[in-house]
Amino acid sequence: MIAIDICKTLYGSMGEMELNVDLQINEGEFIALAGESGSGKTTLLRIIAGLEKARGTLKVGDEIWMDAKHALPPQKRKIGFVFQDYALFPNMTVLQNLLFVQKDHALAAQLLEMTGLDELRDRLPATLSGGQKQRVSLCRAMMNRPGILLMDEPLSALDPAMRTKLQQEILTLHKNFGTTTIMVSHDPSEIYRLAGRVVMLDHGRIIQDDTPKKVLLKTSGSQKFSFEGELLDIVQVDIIMVAIVSIGQQLVEVVISPEEAASLHIGERVTLSTKAFAPILSNR
Amino acid sequence: MSILSATVASIQSNDGLNIVTFAVGEESLSMVSLELDEVIRVGSECLLNVNASSVAIGKNCSGMLSYSNQLSARVTAIESGELLARIVLDISGKHLESLITVASCKRLGLKAGDEVKALVKATEISVSRVLA
Repeated sequence: MIAIDICKTLYGSMGEMELNVDLQINEGEFIALAGESGSGKTTLLRIIAGLEKARGTLKVGDEIWMDAKHALPPQKRKIGFVFQDYALFPNMTVLQNLLFVQKDHALAAQLLEMTGLDELRDRLPATLSGGQKQRVSLCRAMMNRPGILLMDEPLSALDPAMRTKLQQEILTLHKNFGTTTIMVSHDPSEIYRLAGRVVMLDHGRIIQDDTPKKVLLKTSGSQKFSFEGELLDIVQVDIIMVAIVSIGQQLVEVVISPEEAASLHIGERVTLSTKAFAPILSNR
Repeated sequence: MSILSATVASIQSNDGLNIVTFAVGEESLSMVSLELDEVIRVGSECLLNVNASSVAIGKNCSGMLSYSNQLSARVTAIESGELLARIVLDISGKHLESLITVASCKRLGLKAGDEVKALVKATEISVSRVLA
């Protein structure tokens, strides 16, 4: 059991903010940490890692990592940290990057094999693709057999296909090593695939803590299919009104009544929803 | 969802709004749609999507109904769950499904072999693919 009860005053672009988190995590859980940027996600990870100070207590199993009197230094905490920008040592080969953490050749070989990096062991990071670099940094994080794996948007710089592949590898490592994993992520499909629990932060506070489905499934009333977008325009066609809404990377048209049109404002954020029965799903 | 193969019989357009009439076997079907793909012309062969949950069923209909599409159908099978029933219909050799409540299914006394009307609003039909 990891018991986090911490408090820290942050000074961000929005002024002062109190990060106040009271969270219990069971061993072996995979937690997604979500929330808007500036909500305190990265700071929370860094506090758990011991890279930042905070008030309060942090207990991992029987060990006290932080309390009012002392704080365990980062190198004594059994953690692995994966950053968005890889943070590899540029002058070391893939293998040397791993061995720097722990001179455990057998484990390094096992990790490189699991992630398909075997043939790249003697390459320098600069000669690797983004996906390969992040694999190396993931392997390096596992080198001290961490009890807790912390990942700060590890896949956000990668293309969707590479992301899906690495998600699978992250899940495999998480299960094989029995780590407790906390990952900052904004991607709903990633959260759904990997995490068993989502903790949503807002302005330094936990506003939701539940299963991915409960947190991410957008519903309003009995509407089960809902997207947020921006209302771009409303045009009249025959006797109906057509609203043009931008959602993600595309525009959609929705037929609305004149009464609805009157209550909507161009440029505002809108939720587009329909019942689960109506949409038609087809593959490409 | 059911997929029906159909041929475009006519297209009426006004201001970006269209009503397309299709021939489906011996039946005719109309669809209301916003912008229409340019490849859809009279004579085009298309696959139409009809969601089972937007297909209603009428039996011994006598009054007038606004449904643009009132297709003569024969019940070929009924799959009943606890609450919902899937009614499989044959419309001049083509397959269409309707998802209704078990209560409605009982109220109509539906059984395989029944001659019924499949009722579909023109706004509930969409083109999934244009074949030629």
